[in-house]
Amino acid sequence: MIERVFVLAENRYLRLVLLGLLFLSLQTTILNEMRPFGVSVEVMLLLAAATGLAKGSETGAIAGFVVGLLYDMVLTTPLGLCAIVFSAVGYLSGLVHSFVHEPTWWSRIIIVSGASAAGTVLLPLAFTVTGASGVLTVGLLPIVIVVTGFNALLALPVSWLCGWALSERTEFS
Amino acid sequence: MVGYAFTRRRTILLLLLTSVILITLDLRGSSIVAATRSAFGAVFRPVESATRVVTRPIQNTWNGIVNYDEVLEENRRLKDLVAFGEGANIAAIATVREAQELLALNGLPTLAGIASCTAQVVGQSPSNFTQTVEINRGTECGIKVGMPVLNAAGMIGKVTNVYNRRAVVMLITDPGYSLAVKVVNTPPTTTTTTIPGVPAESTTTTTTTTTLPPTTTTTTIKGFTPGATIAPNTTLVPIDPLDPDAPSAPNRSPITVPPGADLPLRETGALEGRGLSRVPVVRFIENQPRFGDVAVGSPVISAGGATSLAPPDIVIGTVSRVVPRSGTLGPILEVTLSANLENLNFVRVLLYQPITERPTTP
Repeated sequence: MIERVFVLAENRYLRLVLLGLLFLSLQTTILNEMRPFGVSVEVMLLLAAATGLAKGSETGAIAGFVVGLLYDMVLTTPLGLCAIVFSAVGYLSGLVHSFVHEPTWWSRIIIVSGASAAGTVLLPLAFTVTGASGVLTVGLLPIVIVVTGFNALLALPVSWLCGWALSERTEFS
Repeated sequence: MVGYAFTRRRTILLLLLTSVILITLDLRGSSIVAATRSAFGAVFRPVESATRVVTRPIQNTWNGIVNYDEVLEENRRLKDLVAFGEGANIAAIATVREAQELLALNGLPTLAGIASCTAQVVGQSPSNFTQTVEINRGTECGIKVGMPVLNAAGMIGKVTNVYNRRAVVMLITDPGYSLAVKVVNTPPTTTTTTIPGVPAESTTTTTTTTTLPPTTTTTTIKGFTPGATIAPNTTLVPIDPLDPDAPSAPNRSPITVPPGADLPLRETGALEGRGLSRVPVVRFIENQPRFGDVAVGSPVISAGGATSLAPPDIVIGTVSRVVPRSGTLGPILEVTLSANLENLNFVRVLLYQPITERPTTP
């Protein structure tokens, strides 16, 4: 029985889904209540950006899609909206990271922050495309600032977590 | 390298197509999407509950640090409000009962005749771009999509997703929210005070003439018209003696003509949410002379009707600003909501469905 669990745990996307569920539960509970400056911190967006940083643009796009789809399940926005945006965020962070010659800790933070800011703008934009109104306002600016700042703080530990979750071989095997 | 780029492009294209298909399915109201969301909710709920229990101490600490002063201040203010409201509450209950009895007597619909389900708000939307709250009652209580939700102050929104023991309520401020409403406007009334010895001027507006001693009384109660409580005008109409339906005696029957010009006028429009940072607005108000200029402070209530998702006469708020528009376009009214959407706790879901939403029997 335990061996079966280990075999299942070898699938990196299953590990990502479990990690995504953990982050989603944090997003819908504690981070939903703790709103610095009245803004909800987007850890799901951070997870999508960190996957691209950890494993490159293609894996980042797929992982971002999975993470976004999980987030879509609890939101009232159309299913697939966050998936497409987070996929773009994962792809973007992986693509930008591939251009960095010698990555340092601060370059990683900058990339995650930039990708988070882009995702925070892209999300209401995509929402508007699907017919919503009143989401693209000047009120978006403080949201971008807070989300970017918070994601910058957690960029390194979360990218390490994503690197572990999406690694091909783990210590279980 | 070329093969790798091709694979990558194919992956991106596949993800893009999948997203577009999913969005299309959801926007078209596919039952598969609803079932998937419901199944995910069943799986995710235990995980969320466990996380809530584990993170509660952190959350409490955060609230203690950030909100302590506000809570103390609010507590003080609420104690004052409770003391103030206790007296008014008794009179209000009596008035409401009388009104309900009158409506029932005349066969008019009242909220008292609609069953409801009380629920508690257990969470709000984790997103910055949607205004929803989650309540702890669902299908087991008879809740269905579209049902209106109110708290003690008035309307707060409508149910958009229902699961077992859980439902999502879209708030009035959400850009996707829309509801037919009535704006109760008070017509401009001129009160002429006749001082003995001075002739009163003739006027063509709605006028209430009162003869008073030379003292001035000022009222600041909105919607209150001095003299509106006087007995209605009575006109005597002669009855044809040859009419077989006419009563034998007396020959002259009194017909009551209500003072229509003094009654508050009503106009319907559509209430639309505009996001959390902006107040909702009422559109499609007609620019008709009889309705006149909408006064700031005029109450906004639900219009009801066979196709409306909410029954009539639920309090929504008051007009806070009137934005005039040129030509035949009616004004846009900004509405201050009665309910405080930032502090929702217990809410009531009215188990009300319009005729158009009721399932038809084959």
